[in-house]
Amino acid sequence: MKNKNMKAAGRYLLMSIVALIMFFPIAWIFINSLKTLGGISSFPPQFFLKHPQWSNYRRVLLTPNVLNYFRNTLILIAGNTIGTLLSSSIVAYPLARMNFKGKSAVFSLIIATMMVPTVTTIIPQFILFRSFGWLDSFLPMIVPSFFAGPYNVFLFRQFFKTIPKSIDESAAMDGLNSWQIFIKMIVPLSKGTFITVGVLSAIFWWNELFTPLIYINSESLKPLTLGALNAFKLDGGQNVTAWNLQMAFAMLMAVPPMLLYMFASKYLMVGNGASTGDKEG
Amino acid sequence: MIKIKTKFSNLKAWTYLTPWIVGFVVFTGGPIIAGFLLSLTRWNMLGNPTFVGLDNYRSLFSKNSDFGNTIKITLIYTILAVGLSVITALFLAILLNMDVKHKAVFQFMYFVPSVMPSVVMAGILLLMFNKDLGVVNWFLSLLGIKGPNWMGSSGYIWVVIALASVFSYSTGQMMITFNTALKDVPTDRYEASALDGASSWQQFIHVTLPGISSILLFNTVVATVNSFNSSFSMLFPLTNGGPGTSTQVLSLAIYQKAFKEFDMGLASAMAVILFVLVAIIGIIEFRLMSKD
Repeated sequence: MKNKNMKAAGRYLLMSIVALIMFFPIAWIFINSLKTLGGISSFPPQFFLKHPQWSNYRRVLLTPNVLNYFRNTLILIAGNTIGTLLSSSIVAYPLARMNFKGKSAVFSLIIATMMVPTVTTIIPQFILFRSFGWLDSFLPMIVPSFFAGPYNVFLFRQFFKTIPKSIDESAAMDGLNSWQIFIKMIVPLSKGTFITVGVLSAIFWWNELFTPLIYINSESLKPLTLGALNAFKLDGGQNVTAWNLQMAFAMLMAVPPMLLYMFASKYLMVGNGASTGDKEG
Repeated sequence: MIKIKTKFSNLKAWTYLTPWIVGFVVFTGGPIIAGFLLSLTRWNMLGNPTFVGLDNYRSLFSKNSDFGNTIKITLIYTILAVGLSVITALFLAILLNMDVKHKAVFQFMYFVPSVMPSVVMAGILLLMFNKDLGVVNWFLSLLGIKGPNWMGSSGYIWVVIALASVFSYSTGQMMITFNTALKDVPTDRYEASALDGASSWQQFIHVTLPGISSILLFNTVVATVNSFNSSFSMLFPLTNGGPGTSTQVLSLAIYQKAFKEFDMGLASAMAVILFVLVAIIGIIEFRLMSKD
């Protein structure tokens, strides 16, 4: 019995140590976001602050353009989430619930395109969008999401396949056509999948750096990630001057995806063996 | 009659696929072909591209080119990032499958780093590993070790990159799928091997690993794909390829050539090579997966 208790305590200790390591970065951001500039460079580092500088957060939010960064990120998220949910669910529908010629070829091609990294197609895409006159706008980052990203199609298809076929059959008996079956039966039954894909897309665009870096020039159109690079000179750490303000900004950027995760965790944890990986818009 | 019906339903299915077909042609398939054609030209985005045949490839593989080094660094980064995030994710999932109190709290704390934006993670790692005011070097000094200049050393920087891979998006995502997969391993197999007197390590090797092998391969494939994208979003703010070119992975090199130096032909040649590299890795991993 005693041995068993020891074992349980040991497990708890191990899990706690690992938790401390995993949680350290965000905790350290938080602590440093409340220091004075002098406090940051004091050695040994301070872990407990006598006078937390909450005003750092106000100073960050009052920095020119910071609120714009938030707005722009939200626009990217809204556009991409709408586009992704609409197009990916529609494309996944026949792949999961219809038999047609070329189905397995299409599905293999979708799986294959999941593997294509963004950098391998970015140059021709850039040239294409430049010819449309779309540079320095949100369009190159939002419009593609309306054309079904492979990863999200895959997620929807996996879930749609688990819905019993009998639902379609009885709906068809009632005279519903395939579109009506999709809208009235499949979509309401897949709420969790819509939330999962929506949340993953939101977190992705909250964090996305590469495409905005390429397409956006104007200060007023930059999303948070570019703002973080820019306002606080986060390029290899060479020119960082105001670490405390940068950490306050970092905290403001880190918290929303965490909250979103907490809200969605009961859906994300269901993970049917498919909810891994990177999702292109 | 039946024939007409199937024809009709084929058409119907393909109608639903329209967004994907357009997206595939315009944003993936088309650009891959266009990228290959561009790689045969010299073009600085002004005027018209000039056809130069295989010159770009020749200069990439010429003796005085740094490209061989870039490929090497890319492979090192990929193996390191994939290996560490898969191992960490599996380790975390195993911990979460143990019978303890407050599991939800642990799960949350383990998952947090993976939803943090990579620029934010880069920022905090830069502060933690700062040679003068970083908490890491302070900790080392307690142990009587003089901490190195992490960010300025072409060797030590890989420690920071390794840690960034542990804290990556992939790790958290895989932790979730491993967590589910581990629950699906039948408990009677553990009981049977315990009766045979197997240690927990032997159980891990002979029961756990075979039980999750398909998800392990799936996760490795996905993590590999992720690493090619995350190589940019993590390394650009963290090291920007430096010090020198010691962490200059392909994605950074392509960005530099295409969008800083506007050498579209050469950058496209690199992109084609990256595509081939990904294809080879993908085929190998899929072969392993279908063997399973």
